[in-house]
Amino acid sequence: MKSYLGFIRPTSITETIAFLNTHPGARIVSGGTDFIVKWKNGLMPDVTHLVDLGALSLDRIEISNGTVSIGSTCTMAAIAADTRLTDRFPALVEAGLHVGAPQIRNMATLGGNIANASPSGDTIPALMSLDASIVLSGPDGERRIEIAVFFTGPGKTVMKRGELITSIELADRKTRGTFLKLGERRAHAISKVSAAVSTWAVSGARPIWRVALGAVAPTVIRARRAETLLEGNSGKLDADTLERVKVLVSEDAKPIDDIRSQAAYRRRMTGVLVSRAVAAIS
Amino acid sequence: MTEEILIPVKFILNGKAVEGRFPAARTLLEAVRGDFALTASKEGCGKGECGACTVLLNGIPVNSCMKVVSTLKETDSVVTLEGLAQDPLMKTIQAAYVEQGAVQCGFCIPGMVVSTFALLKINPRPSEEHIKDALSGNICRCTGYRKIVAAVRSAADQAMSIPEVR
Ligand SMILES: Cc1cc2nc3c(=O)[nH]c(=O)nc-3n(C[C@H](O)[C@H](O)[C@H](O)COP(=O)(O)OP(=O)(O)OC[C@H]3O[C@@H](n4cnc5c(N)ncnc54)[C@H](O)[C@@H]3O)c2cc1C
Ligand code: FES
Ligand code: FES
Repeated sequence: MKSYLGFIRPTSITETIAFLNTHPGARIVSGGTDFIVKWKNGLMPDVTHLVDLGALSLDRIEISNGTVSIGSTCTMAAIAADTRLTDRFPALVEAGLHVGAPQIRNMATLGGNIANASPSGDTIPALMSLDASIVLSGPDGERRIEIAVFFTGPGKTVMKRGELITSIELADRKTRGTFLKLGERRAHAISKVSAAVSTWAVSGARPIWRVALGAVAPTVIRARRAETLLEGNSGKLDADTLERVKVLVSEDAKPIDDIRSQAAYRRRMTGVLVSRAVAAIS
Repeated sequence: MTEEILIPVKFILNGKAVEGRFPAARTLLEAVRGDFALTASKEGCGKGECGACTVLLNGIPVNSCMKVVSTLKETDSVVTLEGLAQDPLMKTIQAAYVEQGAVQCGFCIPGMVVSTFALLKINPRPSEEHIKDALSGNICRCTGYRKIVAAVRSAADQAMSIPEVR
């Protein structure tokens, strides 16, 4: 079959934005792991050009002025191998290590996982548990969006035409946290339910807790009532508090029945995963 | 209709600089098998799940069925199983798979041995957990994996005593 698909590897962000803005059918390809599957399934009939981000040096991880910046084309493998990240953001590193298998982790990028906006995208709950911001560049300049308000539905985000994700920013601090997922098997499976929990100290106040749930709503969601409960809990976490966390998060979960699992099971497992995650880091 | 669009691509394939013109969404697997006639890499699923198409890209294993060939740069080095055929570590791995009876239909094996090679390069003494994790992206429908894990272990042991390997 003849191909009429164009290809461009811009060498600057400005060039990338200009191209995306003037070509509505242009599609960013980073690791290609989501793109290729959709392309082969004929789910991308309107794509006219592929835009390769490979010459933009967006694969750097930098720490300065209290901010950790992870370039959008960093792969899951690169994230898991960076000791600055393993020290600071265990939930993110564990989520990265839960994506696919080694071959996939060597290609799959953080920006691609976010832009794909799947409710079961594994890095998303982790980033949400860390109060991450998504840095977008577009025709109107740069903007930072809190990840909690970035997603508007399955596959949908606040990104506008001409915009790309350039980096993900996190406050430079030590956190404790973890990411747990339930899939068809331990390795290499899409999440039926996932949960990320992170907590960090604040001087002169009680620690902050963040709980995020994947694959149980149209987008990844925060379980704010559980967060408040955990933040109000002074001293050691007891079985009773853990039980209440379990109930609150299962109520927050609004899962669906689909090919991967059933709603009732998902709701129940949300409670189980979150209570395990909280117990593991307490 | 307008003329077909082919994208010029240069990269290093099994140590040699190569170039070609490809449809923009052509995969590396289609290119190595179809355009470069290197047929060791297999298409099992074509969607990143089975690992039969595993190649090394700049030394690390990737699914060639997922890699858009146009995104390769001139400096990118792709190594398929053919490119490892004379490597002493790969020969040791292949011999160990044969000795352990880890091969049945053989379809998964090109990917298995490339993943094994990538593992033993960075981790010459892998634990059982390491081996299982390194091969978690390679599916075998025949062997039940036990003999494959045994083969990897045996290859690791034997590789230790080969001077050219380390
Ligand atoms: C076999 C297999 C297993 C998988 N397992 C998992 C898993 O366990 N967990 C999980 O979360 N995911 C999984 N995935 C999905 C996928 O690997 C991830 O979502 C991955 O992070 C996507 O990144 P990519 O760079 O490959 O994206 P691409 O395919 O390159 O891009 C994905 C989408 O994002 C857009 N995009 C990419 N980068 C940017 C950017 N910087 N700015 C704006 N838009 C951008 C693209 O236009 C495209 O629409 C799996 C996929 C496969 C094939
Ligand atoms: S053919 Fe590439 S992973 Fe199956
Ligand atoms: S030997 Fe047949 S698939 Fe592995």
